[in-house]
Amino acid sequence: MTARRSAGPLLLALILAVATACEDDPVAPIDDDEEELPVSAPLPVVGHGQVPERYTAEVAIHGSWAYTSSWSNRGGNPGNKVVVWNIAGDEPVATDSLIVPFASTTGDVQVSDDGQLLMVATERTGGSVMLYDLQANAARPPLITRYNSEATNPGVHTAKFGRVGGTLYAFLSIDPLNTFPEPVAAALVILDLSDPANPVEVLVRTMGQPFVHDVFVRDGILFTALWDAGLTLWDIGGGELGGTPADPVELGNVLTEGGNVHNVWWYHDALTGQKRYAFVGEEEVGGSIGFSSGGDLHVVDVSDMANPVEVAFYHVPGAGAHNFDLDEENGVLYAAFYNGGVRALDVRGDLSACSAQQRAADGRCNLTLMEREAGVGLSDVSPVAVWGVQHRGTRVWASDMVSGLYVLDVSTLQR
Amino acid sequence: MAALTLATATTGAAAQNHAHAPPPATPPAGAALHLGASATGLLTRAAPALADRTLTEGYLTQPVLTAAATLAGGRLSATGMLNLEGLTLQRGELTAGIWGEGYVDRRHPHTYLHELVLSGRTPVAGGSASLSVGRGFAPFGTDDPMARPFIKFPLNHHLAQLPERVLASAAWARGPVVAEAGIFTGAEPRSPEDVGGLDGFGRSWAARLTALPRPGLELQVSTARVAADQRIRGIALDHRKYSASARAEVPLAGGSAYGLVEWARTSEHEEGRRVYTFESVLGEAALRRGAWGGALRLERSTRPEEERLSDPFRTPYPHADAHLVGVTRWVVVSGRAEHRRGVGPLRATPFVEASWQTVAELTGSIYDPVEQYGRAEQWHLSVGLTLGAGMRHVRMGRYGAARSSGHEQTP
Repeated sequence: MTARRSAGPLLLALILAVATACEDDPVAPIDDDEEELPVSAPLPVVGHGQVPERYTAEVAIHGSWAYTSSWSNRGGNPGNKVVVWNIAGDEPVATDSLIVPFASTTGDVQVSDDGQLLMVATERTGGSVMLYDLQANAARPPLITRYNSEATNPGVHTAKFGRVGGTLYAFLSIDPLNTFPEPVAAALVILDLSDPANPVEVLVRTMGQPFVHDVFVRDGILFTALWDAGLTLWDIGGGELGGTPADPVELGNVLTEGGNVHNVWWYHDALTGQKRYAFVGEEEVGGSIGFSSGGDLHVVDVSDMANPVEVAFYHVPGAGAHNFDLDEENGVLYAAFYNGGVRALDVRGDLSACSAQQRAADGRCNLTLMEREAGVGLSDVSPVAVWGVQHRGTRVWASDMVSGLYVLDVSTLQR
Repeated sequence: MAALTLATATTGAAAQNHAHAPPPATPPAGAALHLGASATGLLTRAAPALADRTLTEGYLTQPVLTAAATLAGGRLSATGMLNLEGLTLQRGELTAGIWGEGYVDRRHPHTYLHELVLSGRTPVAGGSASLSVGRGFAPFGTDDPMARPFIKFPLNHHLAQLPERVLASAAWARGPVVAEAGIFTGAEPRSPEDVGGLDGFGRSWAARLTALPRPGLELQVSTARVAADQRIRGIALDHRKYSASARAEVPLAGGSAYGLVEWARTSEHEEGRRVYTFESVLGEAALRRGAWGGALRLERSTRPEEERLSDPFRTPYPHADAHLVGVTRWVVVSGRAEHRRGVGPLRATPFVEASWQTVAELTGSIYDPVEQYGRAEQWHLSVGLTLGAGMRHVRMGRYGAARSSGHEQTP
């Protein structure tokens, strides 16, 4: 363990936690004896599965299996392939693949919370989601259905599962399309997956400036990443405004610094029960994949959902944030940072409490100066362009657009 | 005296003999209407076109109807071009390194209404001044490639010209100096049917200064600010453009010689922050003697590499995400030989064009051109026949007082 933060903020956090606990808040105090995480520890590579013929995109994990999607066109090969990996050992072994007809990009892939379904988003025109049955065969999941409608046609850029009131839904962020004479605006489409073989479209709503890029759903709250329109929170069953997936009601909005709100994760700390922070990925316009990118990770305090406020940020020089995964047991956020590799942040405790030296001119806390960067992976690999990360136990799987799937050892980041 | 010219025969000797002279301060008397038409049948072989695959394709390219009119003793003039590529070239034309408007490695079809500009001209301060309105070229950069020696466009088309904009421009010419400035719509067309409209009109501007130090020699510098297209549903960027060129055209015994050297740069900005820069240097020369002509072009240009669609010759327009896959630099060497002849009322020009090109990624990104094309070098070979009748544009991109006497060639 490396001693790092001064005792002041920790003590303050402890006092605050105790004080809030005294107010009957379910948030538990931080364990005084809890081990601190290291600072910027290297996260060693323990495995590497190669995909040389396509650009790899997102990664999803289910038990001993991983699924990586693909993007654009590499050497004449379109991004229409999902590789199935056996990840029982440290070295990922590609055992099979799913070829998705009509797709030029299969940019997003996700597993449902009950492990029953695999969802793949397809772009461009002719956009759809493919639903596969993991319960039947995780090694070669059979297709349940391809869902496509007029609303999804421009292309499904990202697709996320979310359970609301016990019902599983799919949340699809639809590409804009510059058709003539009238362009098609970006939209959020929500599907009721009560019967996965027959998805029912319950919402089509134009949103975003210029588009809705991604969502996060938890406890009946929908978070939408609306690019320059910021981060918007919606009641879809978990708020008090009567919203439903078919009729989301806006709770609040925040314009994070720099805009370009790309993705979001609402963090529930498994130890403390704290639900205070949403982490927002900013994807800066510019850069060249694998060499340069930009955009910070932003920490938004959503304690008051009507008035969310950005309190902290994390910046990697020359690299930009992409997708996240959270180890909520250990309070560690894993973020893909394209050419910046994988970054692990200690997100437990109060991220808004920092010294004057750790604060930016606009008042936000700088997580780097707060020594919240716990680990760095793939920083010595070039070229590398990490699209997505998935965490399980002491391993993180990182999808690299250039080469396939890396496996990182994160055992140093267990508390 | 009015004159009407329709599809009159010309001979091969009538080619490119349009030495640039300062525009006259006083327009010629009378009125005239000139019409013309031309089209090119083309066979192109690209080796490799993509992923080590050779493609051979045929096209009817640059099918155009042209018109030029003068009224009121030349104080009023109009120039126009209907371009029918929307009917003949929807999949695009294999062209080395070309990109733009959602196409890559294939040139996109132009809009049906490629140009229709009305100009009023009057003597001012010892020179000639004009106002022009319509749809056409913003006062920026060099002549449209359609009015230059090669049938294949250079890949810097979107860096070195600003065509198909709704515009209002002013020009003033006195002696060897021509100054132009204009405002226009920033949007690029989204379809051959797209005639523009007034959305964003006036948010973009361009200015060009041209010097004509001696007959046949033309020097220009220009700049433009093109505002992001507000119609775009996606990430649209502002463009800052710069161009400088030297153009020469001189008559030779039994023919003519032409040369152009140009530099162009476009930087793309988001809220004032520069995010990408693309640059081009191009030189081309043509020699004509009697019916025979030859041309050589050297180009070194950079272009964006973007996500590709199911059709690998198309890209999303614009991106849903924010990055380029990379930036590549292309070096293209092109040659052309042609023979012009009159066939009844038609001009017939059989030709052959060949290009060799090589491409390199500049940024260190994940994009590998050899992976994309299968080889580090590519060849394109084209044979074709251009048929034309009546007037034709031999210069394109200037209006009113900025036009030389050689912009249209009339029978």
